[in-house]
Amino acid sequence: MQEQMRQVSALAIDDIAEFDCSHYVRLSGPQWLIVAVALLAFLAVAPRVWNRIEAFHPTVDYRVPYELSNDYWLYQRYCRRVSEQNKILVIGDSVVWGHYVEPDQTLSHYLNELSGGDRFVNLGADGTHPAALQGLLRHYGRDISGRTVLIQLNPLWMSSSKHDLQTTKEFRFNHPELVPQFTPKIPCYKASRSARIRIALRREIPFANWISHMRAAYFQNLDLSTWTIEYPYDCPVTAMTRELPEPRAPERPPQAQKELRKQDMAWVDLERSLQWQFFRQAVRRLQERGNTVFVLVGPFNEHMLTDQNRAVYSKLKDDIGAWMQANNVSHLIPTALPAECYVDASHPPAEGYALLARTLMESPSFKAAVLK
Amino acid sequence: MLFQTLPFFIFFAIAYPVYLLVKRTRLRLPWMLAISYVFYAWLDWRYLIPLAYVTVVDYFVTGRMVKSRRPRMWLAVSIANDLGVLGFFKYSGFFAENINILLSWLGTSLRVPMPGEILPGGMVGLSFFLLQSVGYTIDVHRGHAKRETSLLAYATFVSFFPRLLAGPIERANHLLPQLHDDTRVRLRDFTDGLSIFVVGYFKKVALADYLSLYVGRVYDDPGQFQAPALLLATFLFAWQIYFDFSGYTDMARGVARMMGIRLMRNFDNPYLAVSMGEFWKRWHISLSSWFRDYVYIPLGGNRKGKLATYRNVFIAMVLSGLWHGAAWTFVLWGIIHALGNFATRELERTPFYVHRLPKIVKQLFVFVLVTFAWIFFRAPTIGDAGTIVTRMFTSGSADPSCPLSALALIAAVWCYQFLFESRLRWVLELAVVRVCVVIFMLAYMVLTVPAEGKPFIYMQF
Repeated sequence: MQEQMRQVSALAIDDIAEFDCSHYVRLSGPQWLIVAVALLAFLAVAPRVWNRIEAFHPTVDYRVPYELSNDYWLYQRYCRRVSEQNKILVIGDSVVWGHYVEPDQTLSHYLNELSGGDRFVNLGADGTHPAALQGLLRHYGRDISGRTVLIQLNPLWMSSSKHDLQTTKEFRFNHPELVPQFTPKIPCYKASRSARIRIALRREIPFANWISHMRAAYFQNLDLSTWTIEYPYDCPVTAMTRELPEPRAPERPPQAQKELRKQDMAWVDLERSLQWQFFRQAVRRLQERGNTVFVLVGPFNEHMLTDQNRAVYSKLKDDIGAWMQANNVSHLIPTALPAECYVDASHPPAEGYALLARTLMESPSFKAAVLK
Repeated sequence: MLFQTLPFFIFFAIAYPVYLLVKRTRLRLPWMLAISYVFYAWLDWRYLIPLAYVTVVDYFVTGRMVKSRRPRMWLAVSIANDLGVLGFFKYSGFFAENINILLSWLGTSLRVPMPGEILPGGMVGLSFFLLQSVGYTIDVHRGHAKRETSLLAYATFVSFFPRLLAGPIERANHLLPQLHDDTRVRLRDFTDGLSIFVVGYFKKVALADYLSLYVGRVYDDPGQFQAPALLLATFLFAWQIYFDFSGYTDMARGVARMMGIRLMRNFDNPYLAVSMGEFWKRWHISLSSWFRDYVYIPLGGNRKGKLATYRNVFIAMVLSGLWHGAAWTFVLWGIIHALGNFATRELERTPFYVHRLPKIVKQLFVFVLVTFAWIFFRAPTIGDAGTIVTRMFTSGSADPSCPLSALALIAAVWCYQFLFESRLRWVLELAVVRVCVVIFMLAYMVLTVPAEGKPFIYMQF
């Protein structure tokens, strides 16, 4: 047998002279085909298998852990899970997520409490400004269809050209991987062409998103090579515990919360606002997918605005309301919460969320659109 | 444009199908030249200026050389022009700095102005295409190669994109006839090219870039590390530079092979060499053979006695060191290789070394010599190299925190190479082994490799 193999190999070695390399990694066309099929199968199967074996049992107040905010694969998985059930999805940035509060002190929690059920789920994601939110829904929220959705618009993202991503100077904002990479052009986004192409491709490849999930969940957001340098004697296989990391305690509110100084914000013109443009896209996308959409504008801490600036902000709210009405989008623009119900410009403490939930539950438009 | 980046894959996805279409037409050379210039200009369009200048000058000078009664004069013009370009872009800062040190030492207040960086990155790939062009002129002068009459073909020869940034340094009578060849590209060329490319890609992104993480950490601040870390980082660097450079060469050869063009082999498992002379027959073969043919042999080679032979080896090795970069660390690296060459030459005269010493011991001896020399290659300054060598023997034995996976990968490659050069090589030839190796490499890369690629070490030379 060995002799036969040697004979075969002798023939091949003659052939290898034509290959002219100091290794034997030479494949023919059919062998490349086998490799391609095996690799594609691996790319397709690995995330699915992991989806089955990784423990994921979200409770009623579950929210994607802060440290996994960039784990869009997990977000997609959570979307899929809650969309299979008949839930009302509460979508937005860190205000919906509950930046300074425990999971059982968030808006969705109080909505459940007041409605006497567990229909509301927290699909907030920290740092998702409208440009990122529309990308999140477009690429990772495909399972959200035929559902009732409460989507929050935080006006803070229109409070300056910088927040509105309109400055020409580079500004490193949250979730660059979710924003449009080519059109419409975001002036402050300066990623290289190859980085943009890579991001655009990665969003369409589930395997690439799964790899990001593994890095975020088990390898401290490091690629495996860098992780082994940081943890030289640890085994990567045992690091994959199949248990998602426990969420950290929420961030403590800043000390000077009750003494926010009055300020003038450079609100952008609504018609020229990029973030508003992206938010409208997000709403349209949800509607096109057959969802019933309800928009919550705010809550924004108007107490920190000067009188003059508050007037500008009121005009902005009116314009937003006008667009909603013109486009038959159910919405609520609640009056500002009491000053003590804000931790900063937009995040309420627990009592603020409770009050906001009560305001929503009493709103006829909310009752009609969401609690129907 | 770097082979391992997305822009290259997009570039090749466009350039290659068009190349296949025009391969058998008169558009072949214009297309090859155009894509080569685009490939180079992607890094910086100004790089095209010296490339085009050297091409045009050497083309016309060789034209005059073959017709002239004084061809030696035209050869001198060509070499002086090429070395002038090389000196201007690569060595002017080095010379000015050292002249100023000398003037300061002599107590004069005179200073030579320091030239600023003329082109970004010190003109990537310059040494490679210049040496190729110089080799061509000498070959034409010696009658070893026919003078290329087509400027288009010659420009493509100098700029052929797979080998433009870091070689191999091709010979005219090997590459030029292939550029004129208008036969169809075979499927076997494509699959072979792909095989070679994937191995190179793995060497670069999965091995070299990985090892560089540890090596960089230690070598960037050697004073903070003790003997075990310094020894391991030096050992890993020996493999990093091999994977980096041979990975580049494999990718270059793979791309060229897919186009139906064979570039010369540049590496042949160099860490299995049993003497320094053999090491240089296995490491950067295109450069060492260039120095052999155009420096060592013209100096007299080994024909004029032992002393002259050693002198010629010394000159060739020091020049080779200086070719890598304008710094004393590279000169010292060349000197160490020359001394190592003398040592193994002398040892090879002893029956004990030749017949009694096991091959593995000789291989380890050469590997240790080469690895020691790499310290001077990698360290930013001679002072740093001195610190590293001193601390290797005088510092403590703190935990090096070196990833075991890096050592395991190196062990696997070493075993593969040993097997390849042993009687059991037929095992590696089995189809199932080859397919499994490729699947492993690809799966490993998609699972572990970060998205951003790092530049090749040898591009700076």
